[in-house]
Amino acid sequence: MKVSKDWLKELIDLDRPVDEVMDLLPKRTIGIKEVTKDFFELDMKGYNRADLLSLRGVAQEIAAITVSRVKGQGSSQEDFIWSKNKFETTPIGIEDLQLSPVQCVTRIEGLTVQASPANWVKKLHDSGIRSINNLVDITNLIMLEYGQPLHAFDAQAVKDHTINVRLARKGEVLTTLDDKRRVLTDADIVLSDDEKALDVAGIMGGKDTEIKPSTTTILLSASMFNPQHVRRTASRLNLHSEASRRFQHGLTMQGLLQAYSAAIKMYQAIGGKVTALSLKGDFQTVPINLILHYSKINNLIGTVLSKKEIESILGRLQFTVKTVDENTWQVSPPYFRLDCQQEEDIIEEIARLYGYEKIPKSPLPGSPPSKIDQSKFEFIHQLKKSLATVGLKEVQTYSFFSTQVLGSLGTDQRQLVKILNPISAETAYLRNALWPNLLEVVSFNLKHFKDVAIFEIGKVFNLQPGELPKESYFLSIALSNDTDNPTEELYQLIKKALEMLYIGFKVESREKQDYFHPARQQRIQSGKFSSGILAEVHPRVINKFGSDKRIAIIELELELK
Amino acid sequence: MLESSNNMQDKIADIKNTYLKKIKQASSLKELDEHFLALFGKKGAVTKLPKEFSKLSKDQLQLVSPLFNGVKFELEKAISNKRLTIRETGYSLLERESLDLSSPVEIKKRQGALNPLTEFENHIVQVFSKLGFQQYDAPQIDTDINNFQVLNIPENHPARDLQDTFYIDSTNFGIEPGRILMRTHTSNSQIRIMTEYPAPVRFMNIGRCFRNESTDARHEHTFDQFELVYIDKGLSLANLLYLSEYFLKAVFGPEIKARLRPKYYPFVEPGAGVDGLCIFCSGKGCNICGGVGWLELGGAGMIHPNVLRAGGINPNEYSGIAWGCSPERMTMLKQGISDMRQLRNGDLRLFESLGSSVKV
Repeated sequence: MKVSKDWLKELIDLDRPVDEVMDLLPKRTIGIKEVTKDFFELDMKGYNRADLLSLRGVAQEIAAITVSRVKGQGSSQEDFIWSKNKFETTPIGIEDLQLSPVQCVTRIEGLTVQASPANWVKKLHDSGIRSINNLVDITNLIMLEYGQPLHAFDAQAVKDHTINVRLARKGEVLTTLDDKRRVLTDADIVLSDDEKALDVAGIMGGKDTEIKPSTTTILLSASMFNPQHVRRTASRLNLHSEASRRFQHGLTMQGLLQAYSAAIKMYQAIGGKVTALSLKGDFQTVPINLILHYSKINNLIGTVLSKKEIESILGRLQFTVKTVDENTWQVSPPYFRLDCQQEEDIIEEIARLYGYEKIPKSPLPGSPPSKIDQSKFEFIHQLKKSLATVGLKEVQTYSFFSTQVLGSLGTDQRQLVKILNPISAETAYLRNALWPNLLEVVSFNLKHFKDVAIFEIGKVFNLQPGELPKESYFLSIALSNDTDNPTEELYQLIKKALEMLYIGFKVESREKQDYFHPARQQRIQSGKFSSGILAEVHPRVINKFGSDKRIAIIELELELK
Repeated sequence: MLESSNNMQDKIADIKNTYLKKIKQASSLKELDEHFLALFGKKGAVTKLPKEFSKLSKDQLQLVSPLFNGVKFELEKAISNKRLTIRETGYSLLERESLDLSSPVEIKKRQGALNPLTEFENHIVQVFSKLGFQQYDAPQIDTDINNFQVLNIPENHPARDLQDTFYIDSTNFGIEPGRILMRTHTSNSQIRIMTEYPAPVRFMNIGRCFRNESTDARHEHTFDQFELVYIDKGLSLANLLYLSEYFLKAVFGPEIKARLRPKYYPFVEPGAGVDGLCIFCSGKGCNICGGVGWLELGGAGMIHPNVLRAGGINPNEYSGIAWGCSPERMTMLKQGISDMRQLRNGDLRLFESLGSSVKV
């Protein structure tokens, strides 16, 4: 969210220069991504504060964390344009209130499309939005100020001035404002007239009904949509707009009505005449009442705040507070704080307005719980240590098989755990062994070193019919020692490392794998490990990795409880 | 004077015949390398010949050019085929080699080392063991329920956008796609810890996590997380601050200070970002801390009541602290490593650049 500094000053009587607020916001509210002379950008990534997606919400928040007053609380019920006047209505159809609980449509006539005045353009520019024309810009200015997206249709292109909200039909096609032909599914919500889809709900309007230079009459629409549908559609179409973000974060009835009335007034101020206005749906909201325990606040924050301090903080945040008894309040968050749903949410509000930096430090209470078996972790720790002691370097390779590995070993990919949505072919399959990755690492390092001795301990993944894939810890070692027979030294190395841990080790039957040296591959057996393999990798395989040196490997599965 | 095209054709034929014969007779890769150089090296016959083409007329060139390219291709192919033949002949001799594991081969002296990530993780385990924290290991492939839903991140929660997830193709083990995933954080341990062990508990998890993100010097699709899961009666943000400072002092020395800042994570409430006084400028403000004097070092918070309830713990009786940091980031800061990818690309020159700072 880019916050225009000039615009913010119109909405709040700040008790200090705007730039001082920049220091305070990260300590009280939210991180700041960027500051310029015209705007600052809040780091909204993943944040749940829908109210901070509007200038007015940001002003309220800054008023609470400083000691400032918001200018003009927005229109009240009585000031709404429809409270004082009676209007003709246009038809609205809502297929399912679960998709869209409310829908507002106003017909405004007598408009002229012009360039927007300079102060509108500046406000939009500061906020990172391009000015289009006066009629479209009003919808964006209102969205930025109130957080409620609006859409203006060219009334001429909407049959019978009817607006319906419904699910799209599977395969229904709509060309959006960006000139792209969108094929819709039956999970997407659209606005439509009785003939055709007009707008991908919450995401982008249609090309046919956009404001044209000749437009004189618009249908101004305000809606609320099921955020889950908007999120899914936005992801599927990869179309994340300023509007879709706000629909997904959640909107409020009060915010919608205030924004809508303010927008209509802006159109009237440029000569528009309202000739029809319809509000459909249930606009009632039930305020949330939460029980807040005095003792729980200080217990969870670790402070000794007085009741008076707490009430004062909640007052600054516009929470309504009623005393129930000695230890209990009934608290009602302001309508725009959709994120406050539980007692703990309010406690966080108190903590942050009090100031996280003032929270004292307190040692851990109680005594440590009883010991549980840690032998698995200790074994891995000791094993790594002894392997390093005998001269091996520990590497950590990815949990995937690279295309290089898959191609060079001719691995049967049906045996591997597969990723549905890989970044690229390099992250498409999970490894079911470690040594191929070590082989890749050794081959790379042989360009820089004559002698390479490495190991890795990590998880490998195997398919199991009817169950989640099996995860097992493996140890692998790889050695290239500038000789024609590294296997013999590798054998001595592992024997020595395991002797340090008093673990026995023996060689069993000969193996017969094509990717290993025909005469140098042995099953091996050791306590603490399931059976494994000691082998020289076949030079033909090594050659595919771009090396002509000899490389030996060990692969063992750790037996862990 | 123009060169006759016949003359040029002869030269090409000559190169072809001479070298095809040599290649055929070659018996080692080394010999082939010599022939390759004689043909395609800087002063090789094939490299040099086109310089004479300027003497040819356009018509002649149209004749000579395809001929030359054909021969060039033929020679390259002959060499690579012969290389394969020589290799395969060599491979067939492997049968004659042997393995004598009883031979007392001497182990070379080498400087072994643990990966710097392991070094850091060993250290931090030791540090928190002193406070009674014990290790826990959760699977890296898990259900959407354990990784998200029980952590107060229902489907379509905006926080899912922060954790772009690798999903497993689970159709072949009979689970509809989109339910099984690579864990995006170690917090998939929380539900297991709470159901397996009665409160109070002090656990730490270290392990690999995965996110479907493009990689750069500061982001990896594969990374480790360190996380404390601490549940007891009467825990508060004040204890969380204590743990943060205890950790930072152990890692960066006694001079460092910890600071908490509001931060949103869906599975904690209140949530806190953990900052440390910048270790490079001691808080004065520098390039590395972006002039603010503090470095973002961890994320934490009081475990969300919905998460405690999902684990069968009464949030009115117990509270919990979840506390995490990125071992990669810590290791990079401590060792002066500028690119996260160096920790997993296997390039052993990393150890040389770290010098003696990594001990066994």
